[in-house]
Amino acid sequence: MLTSKQSDRALPTFITLLVIGVLLMTFDVRLEGGGVVAVLRGGTQAIVSPMQRIAAYAVNPIANALDSLSNVASLREQNAALSAQLAESQAALVAVQDDLAKLALLEQIYDLETDGAELGQTVANVIGSVDAALIIDKGTRNGVLAGQPVIDTNGYVIGTVESASSGSATILPITASRDGLTVLVGSQTGTLVTRPFSSDLGLEMDLDIFDAREPVLAGDRVLTSAASTDYPAGLPVGEVIEDASPESTSLTTTVRPFVDPEALRFVVVLAWPPDPVSAATDDTIPEEVTDTTVAEEATTTTTTPEDDG
Amino acid sequence: MRGRTALVIGLTVVIAVVIQTTLFGRLRVVTPDLVMLIGIMLALTRIRTEAILGVAFLSGLIMDLLGASLIGLRAVVYTTVAYIAIRTRERAEMGGRVTIALWVGLLTLLGVVLLLLIGTLFGQAALIGEGAVSVMILVPLANVAVAALFAPTFVRLVDRDRTALRYP
Repeated sequence: MLTSKQSDRALPTFITLLVIGVLLMTFDVRLEGGGVVAVLRGGTQAIVSPMQRIAAYAVNPIANALDSLSNVASLREQNAALSAQLAESQAALVAVQDDLAKLALLEQIYDLETDGAELGQTVANVIGSVDAALIIDKGTRNGVLAGQPVIDTNGYVIGTVESASSGSATILPITASRDGLTVLVGSQTGTLVTRPFSSDLGLEMDLDIFDAREPVLAGDRVLTSAASTDYPAGLPVGEVIEDASPESTSLTTTVRPFVDPEALRFVVVLAWPPDPVSAATDDTIPEEVTDTTVAEEATTTTTTPEDDG
Repeated sequence: MRGRTALVIGLTVVIAVVIQTTLFGRLRVVTPDLVMLIGIMLALTRIRTEAILGVAFLSGLIMDLLGASLIGLRAVVYTTVAYIAIRTRERAEMGGRVTIALWVGLLTLLGVVLLLLIGTLFGQAALIGEGAVSVMILVPLANVAVAALFAPTFVRLVDRDRTALRYP
């Protein structure tokens, strides 16, 4: 049956498959990647990811070697640039260490807790990619869920988890996402959007600030904003590479992300928001009763759960 | 016989998908599209055309499911390329190794352009459009090289015929 001579049913089969394909695309657009589509993706990833993981063990050294070979020509220039960068970074580090020491002292004085320090982190290996999306070797059984933010080992924003199966997940970098990212440049909030058909050599994104009050300058750092629903605030995204002044009330400029997704070998998935479901809906947490006893020489405050009586 | 052929094709597709998403997903210079290439090279075998189209569609669908692009995007493109390959294979078979390699290169270029075009229409330009110009050059060239080297072996393996696809 499978191996026979020429058939005349090619055209009807072709048209049928085309129709099915277009229907699937429409279905995916309407479901926005959720529902049945998410189940199908998860199932396929669960089947293929063990093979990808095994292949990655063999492939990674080869890929690294070939990558290195292709980069040999530019190594000298890269070395010079990196040396200069290192000197600048070391100077900046000293300044930051001073600031951190002051911050720690102030936190100690005012008894503050650092927000976000308790975020769960899952370190994962990049085992492959399809188009601009990355495939990692950690999935739902490691606490990786769709929608979680992903950063690199330096803390720079990469993107979000697009879909996750039990043993793997797909990461959609910000440079490949259709959704704009709400960011902060200085004191101004803007939207970072992808530039379609960008070049391999210059990974760039467009920054739009619609209520611009002041110019932005080349070198300004772009951070995630507290207004973003996808990322914790304050994560570094990239830097402005062109000066721009407000025209009327809007401003547009170019931003170079700190991370080149194609060069990544490891990523960090953040468990953020820390507990989105229970934070909004959980009513099982017992209410706390606070008893305050005022003694003659000291004030003691004790907190006990209601269940304990 | 049918089962064995299906097994060979199935295994080849799985291996191609795994290599494509791991090794060639990591390299920037050597970037063939092995999964598309299988759909094209199957047209050189004696397998029924419906089966070729079905394999092309399913392999594209698997790639769609593993990535973040729309489901059905690659399935449609690979099926279209496979259909055109079926319709033009007789001309390719008349020539030698170079003709077949060029035929594969042209079909791959068509596939890449279709992928960018349909992807853009469905709002996937950001995802699949990165380095579009270099992709349009490098992917067909890499497929030409792979086809020139492995097309006869692949056809003989699938057809289980050592005399298949002998170059003049």
